[in-house]
Amino acid sequence: MKIRVAGIEKESVVDGPGLRFVIFMQGCTRHCSGCHNPDTWDFDGGQEMDTGEILAQIGEGRLNRGVTFSGGEPFEQVAACALLAEQIKPLGMDIVTYSGYTFEELQTKSLADEDVKRLLEATDILVDGPFIAEERDWDLPFRGSRNQRLILVHESLAAGMAVQAE
Amino acid sequence: MFVKIKKRDGREVHFDDSKITDAIFKAARSVGGEDRETAMELTLEVLRMLKQQSNGQVFGVEDVQDVVEKILIEKGHAKTAKAYILYRDRRSRVRDAKGELMDVVEDIVKETDRDNANVGNSPSAKMLQIASAASRRYYLTRLIDEDYSLAHSRGDIHIHDLDFYATTCNCLQIPLEKLLKEGFNTGHGYIRPPKRPASATSLAAIILQSSQNDMFGGQSFPFFDKQIAPSMDGADEDKVYQAMEALVFNLNSMHSRAGSQVPFSSINLGTDTSEEGRGVTRNFLLAYEAGLGRGENPIFPNVIFRVKKGVSFDPQDPNYDLFQLAVRVASKRLNPTFSFMDSSFNKPYDDQVAYMGCRTRTMDNRRGPAVTTGRGNLSFTTINLPRLGIKAERNMKTFYRLLDEVTELTINQLYHRFQVQCRLKVKDLPFVMGQGMYLGSEDLKPDDSIEPAIVNGTLTVGFIGLAEMLVALTGYHHGQSKDSQQLGLEIVNYLRRKTDEACERFNLNYTLLATPAEGTCGRYVRLDRKEYGIIPGITNQEYYTNSYHIPVHFPISSFDKISLEGPYHRFCNAGHISYVEFASPPQHNPEAVEAIIRHMAESDMGYGGINYPVDFCCNCGLQGVINEPNCPRCGSADIRRIRRITGYLSTIDRFNDGKVEELKHRLPHS
Repeated sequence: MKIRVAGIEKESVVDGPGLRFVIFMQGCTRHCSGCHNPDTWDFDGGQEMDTGEILAQIGEGRLNRGVTFSGGEPFEQVAACALLAEQIKPLGMDIVTYSGYTFEELQTKSLADEDVKRLLEATDILVDGPFIAEERDWDLPFRGSRNQRLILVHESLAAGMAVQAE
Repeated sequence: MFVKIKKRDGREVHFDDSKITDAIFKAARSVGGEDRETAMELTLEVLRMLKQQSNGQVFGVEDVQDVVEKILIEKGHAKTAKAYILYRDRRSRVRDAKGELMDVVEDIVKETDRDNANVGNSPSAKMLQIASAASRRYYLTRLIDEDYSLAHSRGDIHIHDLDFYATTCNCLQIPLEKLLKEGFNTGHGYIRPPKRPASATSLAAIILQSSQNDMFGGQSFPFFDKQIAPSMDGADEDKVYQAMEALVFNLNSMHSRAGSQVPFSSINLGTDTSEEGRGVTRNFLLAYEAGLGRGENPIFPNVIFRVKKGVSFDPQDPNYDLFQLAVRVASKRLNPTFSFMDSSFNKPYDDQVAYMGCRTRTMDNRRGPAVTTGRGNLSFTTINLPRLGIKAERNMKTFYRLLDEVTELTINQLYHRFQVQCRLKVKDLPFVMGQGMYLGSEDLKPDDSIEPAIVNGTLTVGFIGLAEMLVALTGYHHGQSKDSQQLGLEIVNYLRRKTDEACERFNLNYTLLATPAEGTCGRYVRLDRKEYGIIPGITNQEYYTNSYHIPVHFPISSFDKISLEGPYHRFCNAGHISYVEFASPPQHNPEAVEAIIRHMAESDMGYGGINYPVDFCCNCGLQGVINEPNCPRCGSADIRRIRRITGYLSTIDRFNDGKVEELKHRLPHS
């Protein structure tokens, strides 16, 4: 399946726990003030790739614990991301997904959109919420502002409400 | 006859022919002649020839000397001629040395040299640099055989710490427990054994300092937890922590290495499972993590955490919690680094192998017990591998011939230095030898030679730039090609066999080192570029890659880098290390760090570490990666930037050009 990508980081230590393969999606409508990667906003920017290509590259990284979807907004290319996520799980890797949407917003969306449900269910940790410059905190792991949360998705879906890590 | 002569500096002075007679007579006397008459007659001959040659022009001192030589030879005074020529040459060398030396002194007085990233800018530092420059020139022109001297100046080899050639040896793993148990004397009186944690660490700092004053290289405690544990007996956690905190502060502030630097200190710990030993490790790591007065990253000591299955590596091990703490600290402080006791070459010694922060390892011993405490390296000399690669012109036979030649030269030069070091007496190293710290020095008297002790030390052949050498030989370095990796391993193995053979020949501890190259880095490239031009992949950077490392600018995953470098560790018995480079401190990600360390262990590495930029805003305390000149939080420009350079940490403005260039090129793994 086709997917538009801003960039790939093969071995990151700042995009989730453990060593991770990171895919930065191209395209975002939110345009948070102070965004780390404004080059990722334009839906026509970046490069088109095939999910198969990406999967092959992921297979090469033998020390990686998992894969991170970042960007840009993964839920803007939700079908491709959901597919990739489902193909990654059998490799024994876990998934971290960043999103400008909150967990609650995504829960609501998933009721009407099957692909959103698929990506959400395949995700182990969701880093949710927009970046809010006034809430900036340099000491937060893997995220930039205090409103953003590290959400344990499976526990949260079971409990019916957001369950955070740490 | 003649009125004037032109001196070397251009001045024209009154000509005095008795000076010619004196010189000839002196030369004649030195070979047994006694007749001043003959000297006078020869002078007349000289004057006659000078008149013919000069044609009325004013001639110079060199012209006169040329004619003297000619006359002496023509008139059959061969022995005198030889003495005259040799004397002239010596004078000429001394003159060159003096002139050059004064130029160097002038530069120093203006700005401090950065070959040693540890040295500051104070009067002490400048004094050190001047003495260093003078010493180097003296040794190169007067003490060291011309062959070695020339090879060094040409850049075929690099004799490290040349300025200390005749005055001492490199480094030492300090028998701390012995000194704390028996007490010691640094010159003014007996220091008795400490009774409290604070006294113990205070004395530990003093011991490091005194030891450092007797040697030019690193000073280390090989089993810090075990060695200082007895002094912690019965003390509560609080006191132990304070004692460790004081030690960290001390080691970062006492300027006593050659009067101007903080000692190059290293501490090995991690496998003592006793209550007190664990307390030492735990509190030391916590104190190191807390940092200096404003939370700054300590520069010293180098902290080496010992990893050993069954003790400190797996979740069921007694010190696993300490390993986790070590990983947590390593994720933000650049220390500890990790030594692997289970690697194939360390395992035979159980947990007895200790490293220095720079990577030095001293273990096997032909002349005494195979222990690390009380021993160290005597000196090391590094071979310029890229140059051999270039000169070989893709011919492996030529390459090995050249390698043999330069290795043999290096082995002999190391032996020469050893002999010079043997002339030192115990009283020349009053603390290290006088207090019986060095293995074998216990029963020596002040006027005895230190030889019985230093036969336990190592004589080390080092190498640099394997990657560039492989590019020269095959077109690819070992990160790019399997064949190059094969060849690289073959060559390093070959070098190790050479040093093993030297052990047999000289009955001394010859070892092979993956040189942590600092001063050598830029010098070799400059010289090679001058000689061979700019060759892509070899001399087009400002530095050569450290030992067998994959070039820092080459994109490669941590996994692959570790897998490729691992196999080299076992050949380099004098010391080895591998680093993984991150773009930012993995401080929230100890899991990632642990994954890396485990893969290092699996790749049969002996010693490994992680590198990342550490930037600290001295104003608001923000720590992270600050790519702009001002702190993003408070706007201050007072940013302290720390990087690791060949094993030791330092702030960025203190690196030499070669290393700054290399730093810019370091690619984080991706």
